[in-house]
Amino acid sequence: MRSGAAIKFFLGLYMLIFFGYLLGPLIIMSITAFNSPAFPKAAPWECLTFEWFGVLAQDERILNGIKNSFIIGAGTVTLSVLLGLAGALVLTQVWPKLRATYYTVVIAPILIPGVVLGISTLVFWDRVNTMLGFSDESLFHNGLFLTMLGQATFISSYCMLVFVARLQRFDYAQTEAALDLGATHAQAFRKVMLPFLRPAIGSAAVLAFLASFENYNTTTFTFGKFPTLTIELAQKVRYGINPSISSLAVIIVVLTILGALAYEVWKRRQKLAIANGAPIAAVSGGFRLPKFLAGNPAAIVLTVLVISGLGTVLFAQNYSPHTCKIEVKEEKQRQIQLRIQKLQEERKAEELQEKLKGPDIFTKEQRKGDKNPGKGSFGDVFKPGNLGTEKEDKEKAKQKNPGKGTFGDVFNPGNLNDKKNKDEKKE
Amino acid sequence: MLGSYLIVAVGFWVLILIVLPQLSMFDYSFRYNLPPAEIGTEKDVYTTSNYGHFFQGNEGNPDRLSVFGMETDIPFNQIGMSVFFKTIVAAVFVTLFDLLLCYPLAYYLGQSKGGGFVRSLVLLLIIPYWVNEILRAFAFRIIFGATGVINTSLVGLGILDAPFDFVREDIALYAGLGYAYILLMIFPIYNAIESLDHNQVEAARDLGSPWWRIHWRVVIPFAKPGIVSGCTMVFMLSAGALAAPQILGGPSSLWFTQIIYQWFNTGGNWPRGAAYAVVLLITCIIFVLAMMRIFKVKMGEIGK
Repeated sequence: MRSGAAIKFFLGLYMLIFFGYLLGPLIIMSITAFNSPAFPKAAPWECLTFEWFGVLAQDERILNGIKNSFIIGAGTVTLSVLLGLAGALVLTQVWPKLRATYYTVVIAPILIPGVVLGISTLVFWDRVNTMLGFSDESLFHNGLFLTMLGQATFISSYCMLVFVARLQRFDYAQTEAALDLGATHAQAFRKVMLPFLRPAIGSAAVLAFLASFENYNTTTFTFGKFPTLTIELAQKVRYGINPSISSLAVIIVVLTILGALAYEVWKRRQKLAIANGAPIAAVSGGFRLPKFLAGNPAAIVLTVLVISGLGTVLFAQNYSPHTCKIEVKEEKQRQIQLRIQKLQEERKAEELQEKLKGPDIFTKEQRKGDKNPGKGSFGDVFKPGNLGTEKEDKEKAKQKNPGKGTFGDVFNPGNLNDKKNKDEKKE
Repeated sequence: MLGSYLIVAVGFWVLILIVLPQLSMFDYSFRYNLPPAEIGTEKDVYTTSNYGHFFQGNEGNPDRLSVFGMETDIPFNQIGMSVFFKTIVAAVFVTLFDLLLCYPLAYYLGQSKGGGFVRSLVLLLIIPYWVNEILRAFAFRIIFGATGVINTSLVGLGILDAPFDFVREDIALYAGLGYAYILLMIFPIYNAIESLDHNQVEAARDLGSPWWRIHWRVVIPFAKPGIVSGCTMVFMLSAGALAAPQILGGPSSLWFTQIIYQWFNTGGNWPRGAAYAVVLLITCIIFVLAMMRIFKVKMGEIGK
């Protein structure tokens, strides 16, 4: 029995470590969004603040990035769903000997590093552009165009996998029946297969949008003049960070949790209803609250979360961290003062000690002699390397300023302007 | 009409998006870095100099290749090659770390009977996956920074005298990479183990097999496709990662993708960057083929 308890203990410990590793970073990052220091910190808690959300909402580059992300997302989703669907349909029709090769080719983009996809897209369209003799401003150098194509290359493969999974459950006798009854191929596809694939189209589109939205490796080579949100975030994180990024993370985390919970609620409702003998069509419409809350913990959590979220927003409207901030500032200044006092005392103590020691006359003279043993009154004039290095130095200087003679850069056309600028500044 | 849609769409995808760009990148990597006006003129000839640069460095490079401690006369690109091998080795370690961390949980989730608790655990697993890759790396920078949570608590507890530089030692990078792709490891293994009949485990136990042999002889062989698929995905993604090394990498250490990135941006030498990208691509292809050959797994099983 003891070993059973030990196993349970280690399992618990392991789960704790695992989920700590998985969720800890997100929790800490979320905390930093509400702490007032300008560098994202969770540890010395200073003041509760909501100002970083305000900073985020006013950040032009972030907003522009979101806009670009949505434009690119829309294009990528359309393209990927169309290509992925075609890819999946062809897979079922293709000549069996060719199937393995075909599958390898269309699945490969998932395994090719994103960096390589971005580079190949960029290089390919650049070559096409040169070959056709277009200018640098043409469509083939446009960031939106390139990013959509680059992302669609591998996102189509994701979509295709979704469709393949759905098609495996499709009964081809249905299309055959439709054809026997006189439908054309197009009609059979539109009226029989497409309705069957509709849920898969939805999930493929969601998957494609999320993949496009968070893609960095491919986009970073192709975005051109249209940085997406992910690109903007990466720039911000690389060059100086502040908690407004954390606040964006909080928003994304909360949206994710809400989405996941809503999905869970929806699934459970379906399950419950099917268990009660209702047809699926009856489940997907209508929203009756009390019944749906019963026996559905996910729904309860979701409701609580939404209410507390609204409460937080209301609270944030009326809350000001101003007084708390002033207190923290004063506290910091007091500590700095204390430290300065301490330093001063230490220095005084040192000075006292030095005075007690008395001046030492000898060490200085001796050290000087030790350092330059070969140097007499001529210094190192006779050092063999001297001549050479001087020449070289001069030559180097010449190379650096090829256009400059004795006049320096008096004739530099920029000079006048500079002077003007300086004068203006003086005024 | 349906037929023409299929042909046009698949043709566009396979040719214009997948095959031709790869070929064009391959072709481009064998060319000199010329200004746009000279492309297509007689100066635009093939060269292997970009690959030469990857192996041997610039002309006049003082570093020499040494084989088992013996110096040779062959010039050797110390920086490029060492970064390349460091990246591959580190990616392998990140993969193994994820595998060790994920296997027990995947087994637990896969073999338990389902129910609310397991469902909510799976839900918890999915949440970090939808948070942006950049933000996940950013979270690790907050945690491992000089004034981060770990350093302040270690210094506060008196374990350390001064903050430890996790970023310079690349610990932050490895932790971040392992974190970023952990779910691509856990779900394939979970899916594989879920379909294992628990009676097999019971039978092995009844026949007196210790727990480690049950795993070694029953569970792991059964979950092999999932394990191979997870390892392949994690390895490829960490070797090809760009964001995490840019955000979490130490100032003096580089990831191979960062070198490629530099040739395309600040370096301004696209053909050379393309050559480096081809090296990365070929390495990855070799890795996938080797995994498939060693563990006798088919392409279709990896794609899942």
